[in-house]
Amino acid sequence: MKCECEQIREKSADYLAGELDEKSLAEVRAHLADCPACREELEGLSAIWTKLGVLPKEQPSGALRSRFYEMLEAYKKDMEKEREKQGFGQTLSHWIRRLMPRRPAYQIALSLVLIAAGLGSGYLLSVRSRSAARTEVAGLKSEVDDMRRIVAVSLLKQASPSERLMGVSWSARIDRPGDEIIQTLLETLNHDPNVNVRLAAADALYLFYDHPEVKEGLIDSLAGQTSPLVQLSLVNLLVEIRERRAAGALERLIQDEKLNPKVKKRAELGLVQLS
Amino acid sequence: MEPTSDNRLMEEVREGKVERLAILFERHHVMLFNFFLRLTGNRSASEDLVQDVFFRILKYRDTYQSQSKFTVWMYQIARNVHIDHLRKQKPEVPLDEQFEEPAVAEPPAIDRLSADVDVTLLKRALDRLPLRKREILLLSRFQEMKYREIAELLGCDIGSIKSTIHRAVKELGKIYFELQGGTSP
Repeated sequence: MKCECEQIREKSADYLAGELDEKSLAEVRAHLADCPACREELEGLSAIWTKLGVLPKEQPSGALRSRFYEMLEAYKKDMEKEREKQGFGQTLSHWIRRLMPRRPAYQIALSLVLIAAGLGSGYLLSVRSRSAARTEVAGLKSEVDDMRRIVAVSLLKQASPSERLMGVSWSARIDRPGDEIIQTLLETLNHDPNVNVRLAAADALYLFYDHPEVKEGLIDSLAGQTSPLVQLSLVNLLVEIRERRAAGALERLIQDEKLNPKVKKRAELGLVQLS
Repeated sequence: MEPTSDNRLMEEVREGKVERLAILFERHHVMLFNFFLRLTGNRSASEDLVQDVFFRILKYRDTYQSQSKFTVWMYQIARNVHIDHLRKQKPEVPLDEQFEEPAVAEPPAIDRLSADVDVTLLKRALDRLPLRKREILLLSRFQEMKYREIAELLGCDIGSIKSTIHRAVKELGKIYFELQGGTSP
């Protein structure tokens, strides 16, 4: 019996984690039925193991996330600088390798020629490396943009309004937003429960108004908004981007009897401005 | 669309696409924060430690080896970060002794909900577990790590991890029972 009890003890960790296969589980159960000591022990262990589940998952403050992304951007920028330096160095050594003959006598001759041609080739080199560096930097810019897109979308999907606000401000920093960001921002504008987040989303979308879906999205959104603040902001934006197609939406808005009088006044003025 | 695996993302980070670390951060930073919070009991220190882990991941990204699971590597770094933190904090006290000391016992408020009392008592009981037992218990119970992975992480065999779990849970139960004032669990 003693030996069997030891075996059960060895299996208890797997038992707790739910990692036992059916056969071993059956063996443990059969033993527990006959051995009160093991039964009591395993029940005690299970109780405390289960109890650990009451410990709540805590959330860190928003500062952690912003510090992380600051660090990541700083690191990325350092890499950018490094690559620029390396790009120049590689071009230089590549040229030297190609130009240098194997035999020393020729090497001396060549170096004389090189000295003579010094200024000219130096100029050529710098032009070359500069254009190479430019291509590299352009590539990195798009990578930084990718990162901001990932960050913005993940923040916009967070539970806390302050994080979603941060997500909106991240999206505003993207050079080429792409469909995913536009869609997520429109979704935020239309469905976010928090007025401030919706307002911020409207402002961010304004930055991308040359994106075809944005104008449509802003016009469509007007009908669904209930907060006067968001309505005002949308009317202002639509007038600002001189979107004539918005006239219909403004007319419909004005006809709403429950509309806030200030919003109504602004919408009427907007109609005049658009016509 | 299948999400990109942690290992694949970390390979990309290693190859220079460091912005992919953002996804790994989003996936793991809350778990890591909770790991540190249960080790240190201090929110702001835990946030610093999480930041440090991701900084080291960037710094040592060249050394990542794809054959081991990303989280195993990440928690290896996390343990080192935590150990460095302890050294900085109390250089004069040896590590082992710090954790053998019992926490200051406050009687739980009677009018509080029993769930709150449970949480407080459990946290206090966890604090009293020696560091190694606590780490192993946290990794398996809260950090979703398999015993096999914990064994790889700590560089020991799986059998010793399992027996540590057994002893840790047993000891935790005993401490918890004592903190309750010896009443039935």
